[in-house]
Amino acid sequence: MHVKKYLLKGLHRLQKGPGYTYKELLVWYCDNTNTHGPKRIICEGPKKKAMWFLLTLLFAALVCWQWGIFIRTYLSWEVSVSLSVGFKTMDFPAVTICNASPFQYSKVRHLLKDLDELMDAVLERILAPEPSHANATEALNFTIWNHTPLVLIDEQNPHKPVVLDLFGDNHNSSASSSPAPGRTCDAQGCKVAMRLCSLNGTVCTFRNFTSATQAVMEWYVLQATNIFSQVPRQELVAMSYPGEQLILACLFGAEPCSHRNFTSIFHPDYGNCHIFNWGMTEKALPSSNPGAEFGLKLILDIGQEDYVPFLTSTAGARLLLHEQRSYPFIKEEGIYAMSGTETSIGVLVDRLERKGEPYSRCTKNGSDVPIPNLYSDHNTTYSIQACIHSCFQDHMIRNCSCGHYLYPLPRGEKYCNNQDFPDWAYCYSDLRINVAQRETCINLCKESCNDTQYKMTISMAEWPSEASEDWILHVLSQERDQSTNITLSRKGIVKLNIYFQEFNYRTIEESAANNIVWLLSNLGGQFGFWMGGSVLCLIEFGEIIIDFVWITVIKLVAFSKSLQRRRAQAHYASPPPTVAELVEAHTNFGFQPDVISHSPTTGTYPDEQPVPIPGTPPPNYDSLRLQPLDVVESDNEGDAI
Amino acid sequence: MAPGEKIKAKIKKNLPVTGPQAPTIKELMRWYCLNTNTHGCRRIVVSRGRLRRLLWILFTLTAVALIFWQCALLVISFYTVSVSIKIHFQKLDFPAVTICNINPYKYSAVRDLLADLEQETRGALKTLYGFSEIKSRKRRDAESWSSVWEGTRPKFLNLVPLLAFKEGEMGKARDFLTGRKRKVSGSIIRKESDVMNVHESKEVVGFQLCSNDTSNCAVYTFSSGVNAIQEWYKLHYMNIMAQVSLEKKINMSYSAEELLVTCFFDGVSCDARNFTLFHHPMYGNCYTFNNRQNETILSTSMGGSEYGLQVILHINEEEYNPFLVSSTGAKVIIHRQDEYPFVEDVGTEIETAMATSIGMHLTESFKLSEPYSQCTEDGSDVPVENIYKAAYSLKICLHSCFQTKMVEKCGCAQYSQPLPPAANYCNYQQHPNWMYCYYQLHQAFVREELGCQSVCREACSFKEWTLTTSLAQWPSEVSEKWLLSVLTWDQGLQIKKKLNKTDLAKLLIFYKDLNQRSIMENPANSIEMLLSNFGGQLGLWMSCSIVCIIEIVEVFFIDSLSIIARQQWQKAKQWWAQRQAPPCPEAPPSPQGQDNPVLDIDDDLPTFTSALHLPPAPGTQVPGTPPPKYNTLRLERAFSNQLTDTQVPAEF
Repeated sequence: MHVKKYLLKGLHRLQKGPGYTYKELLVWYCDNTNTHGPKRIICEGPKKKAMWFLLTLLFAALVCWQWGIFIRTYLSWEVSVSLSVGFKTMDFPAVTICNASPFQYSKVRHLLKDLDELMDAVLERILAPEPSHANATEALNFTIWNHTPLVLIDEQNPHKPVVLDLFGDNHNSSASSSPAPGRTCDAQGCKVAMRLCSLNGTVCTFRNFTSATQAVMEWYVLQATNIFSQVPRQELVAMSYPGEQLILACLFGAEPCSHRNFTSIFHPDYGNCHIFNWGMTEKALPSSNPGAEFGLKLILDIGQEDYVPFLTSTAGARLLLHEQRSYPFIKEEGIYAMSGTETSIGVLVDRLERKGEPYSRCTKNGSDVPIPNLYSDHNTTYSIQACIHSCFQDHMIRNCSCGHYLYPLPRGEKYCNNQDFPDWAYCYSDLRINVAQRETCINLCKESCNDTQYKMTISMAEWPSEASEDWILHVLSQERDQSTNITLSRKGIVKLNIYFQEFNYRTIEESAANNIVWLLSNLGGQFGFWMGGSVLCLIEFGEIIIDFVWITVIKLVAFSKSLQRRRAQAHYASPPPTVAELVEAHTNFGFQPDVISHSPTTGTYPDEQPVPIPGTPPPNYDSLRLQPLDVVESDNEGDAI
Repeated sequence: MAPGEKIKAKIKKNLPVTGPQAPTIKELMRWYCLNTNTHGCRRIVVSRGRLRRLLWILFTLTAVALIFWQCALLVISFYTVSVSIKIHFQKLDFPAVTICNINPYKYSAVRDLLADLEQETRGALKTLYGFSEIKSRKRRDAESWSSVWEGTRPKFLNLVPLLAFKEGEMGKARDFLTGRKRKVSGSIIRKESDVMNVHESKEVVGFQLCSNDTSNCAVYTFSSGVNAIQEWYKLHYMNIMAQVSLEKKINMSYSAEELLVTCFFDGVSCDARNFTLFHHPMYGNCYTFNNRQNETILSTSMGGSEYGLQVILHINEEEYNPFLVSSTGAKVIIHRQDEYPFVEDVGTEIETAMATSIGMHLTESFKLSEPYSQCTEDGSDVPVENIYKAAYSLKICLHSCFQTKMVEKCGCAQYSQPLPPAANYCNYQQHPNWMYCYYQLHQAFVREELGCQSVCREACSFKEWTLTTSLAQWPSEVSEKWLLSVLTWDQGLQIKKKLNKTDLAKLLIFYKDLNQRSIMENPANSIEMLLSNFGGQLGLWMSCSIVCIIEIVEVFFIDSLSIIARQQWQKAKQWWAQRQAPPCPEAPPSPQGQDNPVLDIDDDLPTFTSALHLPPAPGTQVPGTPPPKYNTLRLERAFSNQLTDTQVPAEF
């Protein structure tokens, strides 16, 4: 019923014409609005009126501008950080310990026999290139050599470098091989390079080194990688250092621990790595006190005399502190602990907690990164290192169709080796120095939102001291080998203390700098400051706009109606005068009186018009004059609102 | 008449027509309170009862006070900063790495220059501690120093005498040996005052420095002869080296090929050509890697030791100067490309026969400059000339400031810092008293009397590499044999003997991860924030806005002042009229209306005057005073016109 009534009223209004004019509406709005400026416009003198009008416009513009700024600030998703420092009971970090040498030489010797012999010969050749030693090379296995040989590049003539194969007299190498092998060459004149060939030796590049040391080490590592990649994982694990051999003593706080508290994983670079407190199967151990007494104390036996001589030249233990359930990237982030010393490491947990999208570009669990995480086999959490390594392996498989030995294998792929993939070394060394590949990976991988770093304060002291050396070595020898003699030396043992510092955490937490409350309060503040307005004022304004539109609609309806009528009237009304004129033109000779008579005729029409057309323009004026009733009425309505 | 006009007229009718036209301040106030946009004021006027009105006055005033207080707080805290910490994972620029041998010059090369000094030092050691034969771990061709010394006159000891003081007898000192001072551990004795602060009252060693006339002397003592002799030696050493030309010094020091055995960066070989020479007065030739030599800065896109810089250094211990340096190894400074490496002050020392692996984390800090803090963007606004060819830093400023002062006061420049334009290094041929002057100046500098500390300001942005250093044995026992022989081959002609592992040091510098941490200061407030906070405060307490403030200015300053002025003017007029024509009291009012001084302030002003006479309703008869009536009549006509207009349609 109400709706019908309302619609009827609307229809009526449409027929009758608007109750207000624009000006009335505006004045009414200005008088009754709650914003501060407009009222002043109407109740002041003309000069002040102009001033207030300008001021109001200016303030309105200012408000709009400032609102724009605030909304833009809000949409920039800025964050504010809060920093907290202190000590609290925290989970002790996971500690990964590896030996710097991946394998025990005594156990891998049979695998590396050929390679080592070759290496010895190479060194001999480089250091003393007299042909007298050439006969010693007969027994060597040249199959590995021929695949990726080391060459000497004689650059004494920089425009025409001469490539000398180290064993050039034994077999013919590529085209540029020198006819005078065994020429004396020293470090200044010659460079050692590695020849990498692909496509059955037709396309070759030389990887140059400025020092022979690097060249032979790189070469050896490449060859060793090739050998080890063909050995099954279980055998490799058996050849590396087992936990019970590496860890001689372990103490966590006051509780004794042993190698059984360590989880072993196999790292291609460092062999067996042992992780303490990884938190994979059992709950992570907390530490509630600062200081060395309450931390982890370890004595390790690195067995330096059993290192693979050419594979690694650095002796010590490798150590990494990392988060529970995260994969240890020990090669990138690890530190060394030296033998014959006690290394004390004070730990501060530096934690950064970020809000995810849209505040910062980071990922909560790596699920939105387009690279499959190859380290998820260990059930470890996402990290950027894992992503980058997975990405590299991905590229490796795509370019070389085999996986690199240092990184985990995706399902169904094989590790590279010379037999199955003869071109892999060429392909790999190409990929490795390819900067574009790395940048692609960096762009694809996202940082993890929660980032924990362990800040370490490292100090070292000699251990065991001279006075205590004797008994400590005795005890350790007894425990390890059940021998009464000293079987260990200070070159082979490492002591580690890892403990929380006085302040053990520093947490940087992000929170949204500008939330919706902030935005609203600032919008309100601006509006209030310049114009004393609120949301209700906006609603008022919206109401006025609707009224404006309504008036416009009504006016348009009225206008189109009148247009219609005028057209109808034009059909009927305009010809008669011409007819009359024609008649009069026929009767009267003078054409001029016509003009005079025209105005009287038009003057006569109004008398006739009211009868056929009630709504022609003149009545409109009339209605205006009659409308004061309406005006008063609507005024009251307005007041009532 | 337009309908808009009608409404306006209605409003005018409803509104009290007083306001700016109010005859008195009180009326104006009342008008203001009734019509203002702020809340509170209206309450005061409309409240009935004295208590209630008082309460409302109290509330309003409290609100005003609160607004002022809060806004003052807002203004005061405007220049605060908020800190944001961001982490970016990205390709990082590798820093410049400067590597120096701790020993500046090959001893064999500088020996000729330092022969006299060494002789005297040995002599002094013999006299003071009773031994002459210095047993070096490395036997060098030991000449019979003592015998040579007997004959010549010691010029160094003469110039700066070394003194040994016995407990108790401070006035007398055995004049013989050696030493030299500067920021030393021992205390400083002024000979004149005879005050000594060394608690251990055994024999102390020091040296005496005198100014020109030798009347003004200072004695610097050290609690240990080791410090004293080293300082004394260094002092003379600087004197001698200051007279040697730069090219000669560079030749006397180590070449890049000698220092660097192997070099590997980001998986690619590098060599001496990738290093630029940087000559440091106290450390000889230093070599900087990645010093933007080809206008490109190397960067790493992988973390881990494999992708960083790996170098093996050759440290020839046999060439060490026994008195100048007492430790063996090299010094590494990691710095920005445009930063000056302060080898003396910062740097990590690396040991021989060890692999030192240095993992880096990059932290960048940005501070806001004026008006938030006192920092400087590029040092151009610091009144100290930068004598280093490097970007501004606080340390550079302090050193430059000291050096400039040194040139000013002592007439020559200190040897271990760069030369300011048109100055020479100090040496005792030309500046015999420079040492005394230098020590005095240095004391003043340390005590902040030179004003350098107050003039120099910190830089606004800096990059910092946090280092995690760990050591491991290198080479391992099993790899030692082959490694040393290959390294010897690598060095080739540089050395004639087989390398020993104590001659070598391995250094690995790498990014642990590619996270760059940026600590940035941002303005906590912007002007928009301040205004919106103002708006919030004004709105909360009084529902006020800038319009209200304009209103207040208008009403309280313009209107009330004009009212007061008008009243005063009238009074003056009245008084004048009374004095001029006491018999005719009717006269004054007529000019009053016509040349009212307030007339030109507002075009509505006629209504001002009319307002004076408004209280009587327009309809009622105004008794008396025809001239004012004439005046108001003219004005009221406009007004009453409107009234009639509105009234007529209302009566329809």
